[in-house]
Amino acid sequence: MGLSTTVSQRKQIKRKAPRGFLKRVFKRHKPHLRLEKSGDLLVHLSCLLFVHRLAEESRTNACENKCGVINKDHVLAAAKVILKKSRG
Amino acid sequence: MADRSILGEPTPRTLLRRVLDTADPRTPRRPRSARAGAQRALLETPSSRRLRSQTKTTARWNSRGARSSGRLAHAQASGHLEEQTPRTLLKNILLTAPESSILKPESVVKPVPAPQVVQPSRRESSRGSLELQLPEPEPPTTLGPALLAPGRRKQRLRLSVFQQGVDQELPVPQEPRGNADASSLASSLNLTFATPLQPQSVQRPGLARRPGTRRAVDVGAFLQDLRDTSLAPPNIVLEDTQPFSQPLVDRSPSVRRSLPLPSHTAAEDTERAASRRTRSSGSAPWNNSPGKPAQFLAGKAEEVNALALGFRNTSSSISGRGVEPLQDGVCEEAEKRMEEEASPELACNTPEFLQPKQLHQLLEPVPPPGPAVLSSEPLEPLSARLPPRPRATGPRPRQDPYKTGLSHYAKLFSFYAKMPMEKAALEIVEKCLDKYFRHLCDDLEAFATHAGRRTVKPEDLELLMRRQGLVTDQVSLHVLVERHLPLEYRQLLIPCAFSGNSVFPAQ
Repeated sequence: MGLSTTVSQRKQIKRKAPRGFLKRVFKRHKPHLRLEKSGDLLVHLSCLLFVHRLAEESRTNACENKCGVINKDHVLAAAKVILKKSRG
Repeated sequence: MADRSILGEPTPRTLLRRVLDTADPRTPRRPRSARAGAQRALLETPSSRRLRSQTKTTARWNSRGARSSGRLAHAQASGHLEEQTPRTLLKNILLTAPESSILKPESVVKPVPAPQVVQPSRRESSRGSLELQLPEPEPPTTLGPALLAPGRRKQRLRLSVFQQGVDQELPVPQEPRGNADASSLASSLNLTFATPLQPQSVQRPGLARRPGTRRAVDVGAFLQDLRDTSLAPPNIVLEDTQPFSQPLVDRSPSVRRSLPLPSHTAAEDTERAASRRTRSSGSAPWNNSPGKPAQFLAGKAEEVNALALGFRNTSSSISGRGVEPLQDGVCEEAEKRMEEEASPELACNTPEFLQPKQLHQLLEPVPPPGPAVLSSEPLEPLSARLPPRPRATGPRPRQDPYKTGLSHYAKLFSFYAKMPMEKAALEIVEKCLDKYFRHLCDDLEAFATHAGRRTVKPEDLELLMRRQGLVTDQVSLHVLVERHLPLEYRQLLIPCAFSGNSVFPAQ
């Protein structure tokens, strides 16, 4: 799949969606339901967006505390907010 | 031969010649019956001489090789060889064969005037003693009526037929003949039947089974090597055995039994130390169930016994581990001794104790508590290390793939954050992701059931994202797809018009 667009990043991010993993997770939670073909891709998309928002929030928190490193408290605080938002 | 012919006595050679000249030269493809009949006629007239000549020739053939005569015999019987006709073969024989006859004992020749029925047996017997594969007179007489498949199974047929003939003929000659002759001939016949098994293997030595080229293991050398290797890298050996501590727990006693064998031979202290080292290295991570082997009391050295007792006491007082299990696995005395001596070493996994001098110092003057104390220390980290192992195997299938999937998203988190992160923070991210998944599934289920469906469709997903605030009137789902997903997924999700008035994916 497509690699990281920014060359500055040292790590190569694989953009492949773990489709099997997503399907398995959904089945484990809701065995009586079925997921459509492209449905898991959209689930992956939603996860990506969630993680993206979480990262943004944690970065903001870390910057507010003037930390160069993202601490777990930053992440916790961010998670609280974002999870509330993603409730739907 | 010329002289003889002049004398008037027909020699086999002349007879054959006459036969060859007189008989019609027929093609091999003629009906076999005619051929057989001709052959029979040929054979019957100079039967006695033929016998002799054939005996001679076959004897000579035997001396040279069996095949040619076999072929000739077969040719005579079947008469349908392509190039070699019996005629040609006989001609060749007459040309090549020397005049002198390598005749068998006269007893074979004497019963010449005997009835023809006996002759085949005679020929067989004479020939049988020489070579099995040339029942020439047999096939003409016996195979004549039964020329079934001469081409294919030449030898086999002849052999079986020969055998049958022999069986048939044997009782007949035995009665009229003297017992000595018949029995000797019969015995020779019987003997020859047994021989073919050998010649075949001799002819094809490659097929013969070779005895295993295994040398008996030199135990002494093997043990010496063991000691040498154990002497060199003790640390590595110690470290190696650790990972296998748990699974090899049950097997280790049997394995270790082989190792202490050198102890038998070793009588010196250095050797003992070396073996101790091997034992210690091998049995260091042992964790057998503790027990009180009474066998160890039969130890040779008193010191060792005292030490062992001391060790056992201390070990039992401490944890009942390590030292004792080492001793448990051993049965023989020397092994036990080795064990006991090795136990202090074993308990202390440190390389320092591997040196024999220190061992001696420890063993002789130092009382049990000394090494026992030392043993307790390394035992604990061992025990601490070992329990997690069985636990890991249990919930593994559930944890690992789930964790790896979450870690995938955690990496993306770190990528999006563009800032260094703590490991603990990543774990929190994973926890959050797990919660998010649950929420997601519940919401999707709600939407699907609201729509009266059992399957979750992309519309449900879009609705979810709209509710999340990701998809707005300004930002559509397709925009998001294009932004965040790679091209391949984009093609699958966003319907696109293709040539031929087709849209993929179909809406």
